[in-house]
Amino acid sequence: MTIAHSIQSIDFLTAFSESVLAYPIVMSTHLACIALFGGMILMTNLRLLGLTFKSLTITEMVTSLRPWKRGGGIIMIVTGLLLATSEAEKYAPNPFFWTKMIILGLIGVHALIFRPIVYNQTEELDRSPVIPTKAKVAAILSLVLWTTMFTMGRLIAYWEPA
Amino acid sequence: MLLQNAIADALNNTEWAFPLAECVHIGGFAVGIGSIVLVDFRMLNLGLRHATAARILRYTEPWTLIALVFVVFSGAALFLSQTDIYLANLIFPLKMYALLAALIYNFTVHRKVATMENPPPVLSKLVAIVSLLLWVSTVFGGIFTGFLV
Repeated sequence: MTIAHSIQSIDFLTAFSESVLAYPIVMSTHLACIALFGGMILMTNLRLLGLTFKSLTITEMVTSLRPWKRGGGIIMIVTGLLLATSEAEKYAPNPFFWTKMIILGLIGVHALIFRPIVYNQTEELDRSPVIPTKAKVAAILSLVLWTTMFTMGRLIAYWEPA
Repeated sequence: MLLQNAIADALNNTEWAFPLAECVHIGGFAVGIGSIVLVDFRMLNLGLRHATAARILRYTEPWTLIALVFVVFSGAALFLSQTDIYLANLIFPLKMYALLAALIYNFTVHRKVATMENPPPVLSKLVAIVSLLLWVSTVFGGIFTGFLV
């Protein structure tokens, strides 16, 4: 708790959480990123499942959206860090917040496992007559992880210390 | 009126119903707006260049429509659960105007230009930027509704 208190007492974080405009602007930006880049994640995964965009190659789908998803991810992390650290005392005991962080970690693990065998092997996937199971597994896990991610994000607001 | 009370009761008296409706709302706009954004990015020449905007629209449109239905219904449920709070809110009507503008724009101007054979690049880009601005404004309006009463 004391660590959380000292984090949120850093001058600019205190000013940030107390500001009428900056806090909702940063939170809106965090949410707008879900709208701007969430669709890219979803559609890429649907393509891997063979459910849409069939006339586009998986390679095109994965590589042309990758820089935007990366940029979006960075904005998400920076805005999310601001939101959480400026109210560290509220977030530190919140189980939904920590569940969300675990999911974030699992998304990292997902990338470590599936990037080398799926997302960086798209040409092989495109050559295959049927979409390989590993690609479908990667897509389904990604969809489950991201859905849990934003659900936990929303639930953070509903937890109150007993 | 009866429906409104029934929904309000369900969302206010069940601990998980309101947050669940919010999650459906967020998931819905991620899919709905996100699928429109793919068309916009194509119109801005920022991605998926191997397909035309018209083709991308054709792939994304069913997802957009289904998702928007979820967004509108979950949003209506959230609204009906606390009508007095939303009606007294200064930002909420602005959000509704932004949403209305975004919806009308999406199915008229945006659709028309996205499906044009050879649209002037400047027109495509302009139309895509306006689309992005309208949808982002709607999201901002939603968050600000919760903050500035």
